Amino acid sequence: MSFAADSITILQKDLRIEWRRKERLTPMVFFVLLVLLVFNFSFELGGPSVRNIGAGVLWSAFVFASLLGLNRTFAVERHNDTMDALRLAPVSGASLFAGKVAGNFLFLAAVELIGLPIFALFFNLAPGLYLLPLGVVLFLGSICLAAVGTFFAAVSDQSRLQDLMLPLLVIPVVVPALISCVEATDLVLAQSGLAMGTFKWVPGLWRHMQMLVVYAVVFMTISLMLFDYVIEE
Amino acid sequence: MRSFSILFDAIVFGTILLALYAVFMYVPGERQMGAVQRIFYFHVPAAMTAFLAYAFVFIASIQYLRTKEVRWDMVARISAELGVLFSIIVLMTGPLWAKPIWGVYWRWEPRLTSMLITFTMYVAYLMLRSYSTSSQEGTSRIAAVMGIIAFINVPFVYFSVQLWAPEQQLHPRSVELEPQMVHARYICTVAVMIFFLYLLKRRLEQEKFALRLERLRTLIGNPS
Repeated sequence: MSFAADSITILQKDLRIEWRRKERLTPMVFFVLLVLLVFNFSFELGGPSVRNIGAGVLWSAFVFASLLGLNRTFAVERHNDTMDALRLAPVSGASLFAGKVAGNFLFLAAVELIGLPIFALFFNLAPGLYLLPLGVVLFLGSICLAAVGTFFAAVSDQSRLQDLMLPLLVIPVVVPALISCVEATDLVLAQSGLAMGTFKWVPGLWRHMQMLVVYAVVFMTISLMLFDYVIEE
Repeated sequence: MRSFSILFDAIVFGTILLALYAVFMYVPGERQMGAVQRIFYFHVPAAMTAFLAYAFVFIASIQYLRTKEVRWDMVARISAELGVLFSIIVLMTGPLWAKPIWGVYWRWEPRLTSMLITFTMYVAYLMLRSYSTSSQEGTSRIAAVMGIIAFINVPFVYFSVQLWAPEQQLHPRSVELEPQMVHARYICTVAVMIFFLYLLKRRLEQEKFALRLERLRTLIGNPS
């Protein structure tokens, strides 16, 4: 089978497991809600604060929730003793990685789609066309997080600390992408005063989006190259 | 081999003495900053050496994945340890110098921030090694992968931090130095780098002994 077909098979398998058990998406979304709740006690959410701390709060919630979900990527294989089956399966390491990244990306995107309205509600964020670039930022940011996260989920699975090791590896490595995500989100949220139907492109956004694209391409490439070494037994 | 080792020890000792002489006797005091500026002669070479060590980790990691020879894995691990050590020196001498000059110990300034992020990546690398459940070979392989990714990430970290807060830049991009200061900087850079190579060599010897001891223990059937 081809690389793409193999990856899709892996993705389908993971989606089917999630559909039957619902053990990733539900906790992740609930976790986003809890993080926002906790932030509410330290910061005055709502009103103009969205322009000062909104981007940081939003991305903290998403990153923490994603780490929670990413931990399950290979843990689910370990608990079922299916990792050896995956190694034996006639699929390359690269297509296994691509399938897992696609799955994690979909979970992250779903969490963001549900989490963003909750965030908007708590922050009294008015909906409007100005939020459109945020979609692109979330899309690119999720790709970066899913790529780095999936890779290190496989790495941390071989550590005694398992769940604890993942954030220690992912956060320092993903910081460059995260900086651009937060900065770009900041630029978008700064326009929250605009009327609903008006849309204005912020020039600074472009640089951050370029950064995210380059980061995603480079990390996907390196990960595809090195993934075989990670799962080798 | 032994005489070479003694000669190397002598060279290390000599260059460090020379560096100390250069910093405290030879170089004139800086007009505006005064004595505290002399930290510069350790701060900058330590930063360069830290990145040299990280480059060693990168190269040794690639070599390990290619050849699967244990010695490359040793070089990678020890270089990472030393890189973290020299990063700590940079992160400690920085605030000491910053307090009288910038007025605060710490600023979220691009170079400082990048150094800190790079430092955390290599601490994670060392933790990955310590808490591994894999076999010796598996640990080395996973660590090599992390050693490669961490180094490739370094330019990203630098670039993104510049993008984040370019207006915060406090480190000078280029400095005009008196001739004596230039000399002292070169001497100190060489001295610190040689010192790094010396530590690397000693740690490698130590690791080789540990490996031999382990083999002997297995041989006599006492694996403790």
